[in-house]
Amino acid sequence: MKNKEMTFWLFITPVLLSLSLVVILPVLMGIFYSFTNWDGLNFTAFVGMDHYRRLIGDEQFLQSLWFTVRFALTSIILLNVIGLGLALLVTSKLKSRNLLRTIFFMPNLIGGLILGFIWQFIFIRVFSTIGDVIGVEVLKGWLSTPATGFWGLVILTVWQMAGYIMIIYIAYLQGVPKELMESAEIDGATPGQKFRHVIFPLIAPAFTVTMFLTLSNSFKIYDQNLSLTGGGPYNSTQMVAMNIVDTAFSGNQMAYGQSKAIVFFVIVAIISLSQVYYNKKREVDL
Amino acid sequence: MLIQNNLNNSNKIFFVGACALLLGACGNEDGAGPGGMGSNDDSSGETIQLNIMQGKVEFNTQFNELADQYMAENDNVQIEITSVGGGTDYFTQLTTRFSSGDEPDIFSVAGPNEIEQFQDTMADMSDTDAAAAALEGTIENVTHDDGRIDAIPYNLEGYGFVYNMEVFEQAGIDPEALSTYEELRDAVETIDSQKETLGIEAVFALPGAESWVMGDHLANVYLSPELNESPLEAYNAETLAFERADEFQRMLDLQVDYSIEPVLSLDYSQQVEEYFSLGQVAMIQQGNWIYPTLEQMDPEFAESNVGMIPIPLEGYEDRLPVGVPNYWAVNDNNDDATVQAAKDFLDWMYLSDEGKDFVVSEFNFVPAYEGYEDLEISDPLSQIVYDYSQSGDTLGWVFTGFPTGYQLNEFGPNLQAYIGGEMTWEEAIEASKEAWESMRQ
Repeated sequence: MKNKEMTFWLFITPVLLSLSLVVILPVLMGIFYSFTNWDGLNFTAFVGMDHYRRLIGDEQFLQSLWFTVRFALTSIILLNVIGLGLALLVTSKLKSRNLLRTIFFMPNLIGGLILGFIWQFIFIRVFSTIGDVIGVEVLKGWLSTPATGFWGLVILTVWQMAGYIMIIYIAYLQGVPKELMESAEIDGATPGQKFRHVIFPLIAPAFTVTMFLTLSNSFKIYDQNLSLTGGGPYNSTQMVAMNIVDTAFSGNQMAYGQSKAIVFFVIVAIISLSQVYYNKKREVDL
Repeated sequence: MLIQNNLNNSNKIFFVGACALLLGACGNEDGAGPGGMGSNDDSSGETIQLNIMQGKVEFNTQFNELADQYMAENDNVQIEITSVGGGTDYFTQLTTRFSSGDEPDIFSVAGPNEIEQFQDTMADMSDTDAAAAALEGTIENVTHDDGRIDAIPYNLEGYGFVYNMEVFEQAGIDPEALSTYEELRDAVETIDSQKETLGIEAVFALPGAESWVMGDHLANVYLSPELNESPLEAYNAETLAFERADEFQRMLDLQVDYSIEPVLSLDYSQQVEEYFSLGQVAMIQQGNWIYPTLEQMDPEFAESNVGMIPIPLEGYEDRLPVGVPNYWAVNDNNDDATVQAAKDFLDWMYLSDEGKDFVVSEFNFVPAYEGYEDLEISDPLSQIVYDYSQSGDTLGWVFTGFPTGYQLNEFGPNLQAYIGGEMTWEEAIEASKEAWESMRQ
């Protein structure tokens, strides 16, 4: 027994140590600094709740928070729909399914910054060229208005992450027992009914995983945002992460940026935890 | 270098910075070998290590060559250079190095804000020869009332409308004669009406995505008079009056109206590389720092086909905005020998014959020091900046004294919102005034 306990601690200590060093400790320090006038080097005074009070009236921060929420909702829906669709496609009896899996997953292997630049080229140059040729005005001037900037970011994110979500769905789809599908077929279920009443409940755990992944990912996006739009035009496509970095580093208001980060952390934690809790309740055990 | 928000650049910069670190580390090891051997038979050589951290990454290679040359001449000095580029990245990393205790011995600072933050660590430079040789107007802003000098200038940079000579010639316009807004506007209209015969797409290429082009450089022209052309005055100003907001607006409008569309997603590299260097536009608002890029794209075009004229400003006609983008500071938290060695190196760089030669022909700097009269400036744009600074027809840079992040987070976006039709001009100016006041509190 004693031995077992020792092994337990032996195994968990390295993780615990690194976790507290790189996550827990910085968070605690961050909370502390958000109550001071820290400038990155040292601090001279405690300012109490000043930063947080200022946050409430900070239009740019609220605007980027709202933008992030809209972006997250849109991309979560699109990601899951498209990811699941791709997964169904490549688990079907298509000949090219192995090749397609690789192709769909590929965008995920490209770094966010580079993707941003590639898509910037596509949106600005390729789109406007196509627009010129076929005479569609909608394709011109992408990324120069808030709306096209928003959809540009959504398209980029969905394109990049859908393959990853697909892999998760594939794993669960392959775990659906053949017997169940066959018996449903014998009972005369249409493909739609099979999907709705057999497959869907069985892959519910996948939703927990993918929703968590897509949600936290879309909230935390920074590099794609930076390279695709840089927050422009006029900071209308600036997401929270970028707002925080800009405040802290280019605005050199370290403590204020820190307090924004704490607020952001709390929001993401609440959303993620309640969503995991809710989805867990809906899962079906075989 | 002023391309603070250009991502293309900061990527390269990161890479180069990383390489510099690696190379530096290797160089160090190499150096340690012979040094250690030498100390056996020669006990006098106590090596002084100089760690340099600087934010102008474009001349990193040449700077390292210069350091090698200095080390070859001075056995007791070891120099290690870290170049990190692009405004914000550099300053963040500098702060990080200071707070982690790994302080550089020589570092660069860009303006009053940065100087203020590192004030306590800066050695007095007033006893250096370089400070004494600095050109008038380059060092006053870093000089205290008691004669203490915080830092010495890197070089001079200047900007204006960089124009394509051939286009102007064909249109029959002498760009050098355009000194008022009206003259410029008429010329722009003339060129615009002949776009097709001249073979250009538009008169200007205004990179609306780069807010610094409008918020720092263009605004500087119209804010300079009320701030007495002094970055220090800007730094101490509690409010902005924007006395010349109307003049500012009409110049911005002129550039927007006759620019390549869409303005708001046009960036620096498109402006300089694609549109200007390939002869698609007649002129762009940029400075002498674009020369290496132009040369890379088309050496012939760069050498013989570009010129630069000032941005018209009523009452200040024909004056080019020229300023000091960066300063060198020496870390005072060191022993006297190291501080002295750092100063000696800087003196040598700017005042010795080898150093001067490097500064002009390798760094491609416009010198901010006296004693360069006999040396030939390597490119036409720098030559123009140098000529203006020699004749004194310059307009001071005040934007280096803007509150930190003012242009990037407030002023620039407001101007973009104006261009995008999201704000009226009055709203944009009003919001920018308020932002200034709240950032100065």
